[in-house]
Amino acid sequence: MNVKKAQSFVTQNAIYIVLVLLIMGIIIYEPSFMSINTLRDVLIQSSTRVIIALGVAFILITAGTDLSAGRVVGFTAVISASMLQIPDYSRRFFPDLPQVQVWLPILIAIVAGLLCGLINGVIVSKLNVPPFIATLGTMLIVYGLNSLYFDMDPNQSQPIGGLRPDFTKIGSGFIGSGQYSIPYIVLIALAVAAVVWVLFNKTKLGKNMYAIGGNMQAAKVSGINVSKNLIYIYAIAGALYGLAGVLEAARTGGATNNYGNMYELDAIAACVVGGVSTTGGIGTVPGVLVGVIIFTLINYGLTFIGISPYYQLIIKGLIIIAAVSFDMRKYSSKK
Amino acid sequence: MKKITSVLLASALLGAALAGCGGNNNAADTGNKANTGNAAATANSGSAAETPKVGVAIYKFDDTFMTGVRNAIDTAAKGIATVDIVDSQNSQPTQNDKVDLFVTKKYDGMLINPVDRTAAGVIIDKAKTADIPVVFLNREPLPEDMKKWDKVYYVGAKAEESGTMSGQLIVDYWKAHPEADKNGDGVLQYVMLKGEPGHQDAELRTTYSIQAIEDAGIKVEKLAEDTAMWDRVKGQEKMAAFLGSHGDKIEAVLANNDDMALGAIEALKAQGYFSGDKYMPVVGVDATAPAVQALQDGTMLGTVLNDANNQGKAAIVLASLLAKGETPTKETVGFDITDNQYVWISYKKITKDNVADAQ
Repeated sequence: MNVKKAQSFVTQNAIYIVLVLLIMGIIIYEPSFMSINTLRDVLIQSSTRVIIALGVAFILITAGTDLSAGRVVGFTAVISASMLQIPDYSRRFFPDLPQVQVWLPILIAIVAGLLCGLINGVIVSKLNVPPFIATLGTMLIVYGLNSLYFDMDPNQSQPIGGLRPDFTKIGSGFIGSGQYSIPYIVLIALAVAAVVWVLFNKTKLGKNMYAIGGNMQAAKVSGINVSKNLIYIYAIAGALYGLAGVLEAARTGGATNNYGNMYELDAIAACVVGGVSTTGGIGTVPGVLVGVIIFTLINYGLTFIGISPYYQLIIKGLIIIAAVSFDMRKYSSKK
Repeated sequence: MKKITSVLLASALLGAALAGCGGNNNAADTGNKANTGNAAATANSGSAAETPKVGVAIYKFDDTFMTGVRNAIDTAAKGIATVDIVDSQNSQPTQNDKVDLFVTKKYDGMLINPVDRTAAGVIIDKAKTADIPVVFLNREPLPEDMKKWDKVYYVGAKAEESGTMSGQLIVDYWKAHPEADKNGDGVLQYVMLKGEPGHQDAELRTTYSIQAIEDAGIKVEKLAEDTAMWDRVKGQEKMAAFLGSHGDKIEAVLANNDDMALGAIEALKAQGYFSGDKYMPVVGVDATAPAVQALQDGTMLGTVLNDANNQGKAAIVLASLLAKGETPTKETVGFDITDNQYVWISYKKITKDNVADAQ
């Protein structure tokens, strides 16, 4: 009985066990890795990833997928940065744009993200295009639109820099002082996670989302307006990517049309590691948070101890495959 | 409902196609910036019958540096050549198709920025067969390919020079500021942010920047080196990790390009650098607009300018001379010609003092 219990515990948590071992390995190799500073850096670097991963989680739980996430992040980073440059910067995107209120470009960028998501939702639910293909298409379209915008006169595809300090403060400022301060960006990510938790667990939309992902036919038969719910879900995800794009621009103090490239894959990987099932219907907010933080910890840890970038790629690839294979075993053993 | 959505989809496609065409027409009007179709080429051949027609294939339109070169070509071409600039979309097969198109259209000259330097051999064969002189730009063909024909030229910069110069920027700082040796051991402890692994520029800049420092008689110790893929976000994240593991032991940051250097500067700012006495010399390469701003702010120590203007200018002047059947000389091109086939455009060191050169 006990053996069985232990076995099931290992199957249930295999990926976490592997990852904890990996992190312990890093700590043994380089004990100074265990510090408040590491924690702080990892939390900061996780913040935008958490927001993107939560958006992707919405869609994965409906048994969909979203390949356009990264490009939407890049688009909204460019949009917000283009309108928030200091007045005396030599190469302004809009040379004559006055110093608008900082929230306005942020709002425009988030709405742009929301619209991208909305379009994804319409294509998936109304045109019946499978999500993989629909978002593959919008991924290309969004990158094309972003590149057109980025190439406009007088910018002509130059990196956007000289961002206003009241904007970059959102990405680099913090409450408190010294080691024990809390960066704004971490607070924003936590707030977003809280809102998403409420959406997942306390709203009809959340219940419908799990129902659609669990069994779309059953959801339809039981009277859920599937296409309306899907459109809402994709739009919310899009708005989250929009927010993430804004934060990426604020955090790095710049933007190019290449921002966000491949972020969707990182986000999907983090969701999977955090127990969101790619076959739909399963996934929690704390799971996604853990998945993202573990992924960032490993990313940061491998750089910290100076592992060659080639090995880093191999290790990350193995983690993703292992996570999904454990995931599959977990659910097949249930059935 | 289904019908309505299909109608909407169809009209969206049509709209996009029309918008694309509109873009092309505009390009033809404003000097042929991004045309891909025949319309633009014919529009120009009417207005400028005297100047030779030169087909220009850029490896990728959304590359920041090549956009600068492309604009320089466009400006310098006025009055000396009619240019048809096309995008090879970072794909060598696409570029070869464009070259075939130039040959079919019987252009007088070609200016090619190869996607893959080893593919130049095939392009030279095509050019030689059609007797259309060809100038390669920015990515150097293999020497054995260059030897195939005497109407093949190359315009570009020596990649290793950008590395050497960024190393020299650190040397200059180190010699002028004894306090830069934070631990006083006479050894320069540095971290390196590399571009894409295996990329020729990344490898050369990494090697030659350190060699320049060693050549100046300074001992170095590499604390960490990792790739940040030319990317600002990754530059910031890698630098944060370097600071986590090495902290104040780091005495200099070398980055293969400005975007990564700017990312590193953000990570340094988060650790309190660049305020009060806490300083870190950071060097990049490219002299992009945000880097110029950082030089003025005093956060970036220096960068190296790859001279897009002169590369574009030399290339199109050379191509138009060849297209007219003339033999280019130092006087007619305005730049030195080495080994009868090469025009080398120098890099420039940019610091706060000569920042105007990069604007």
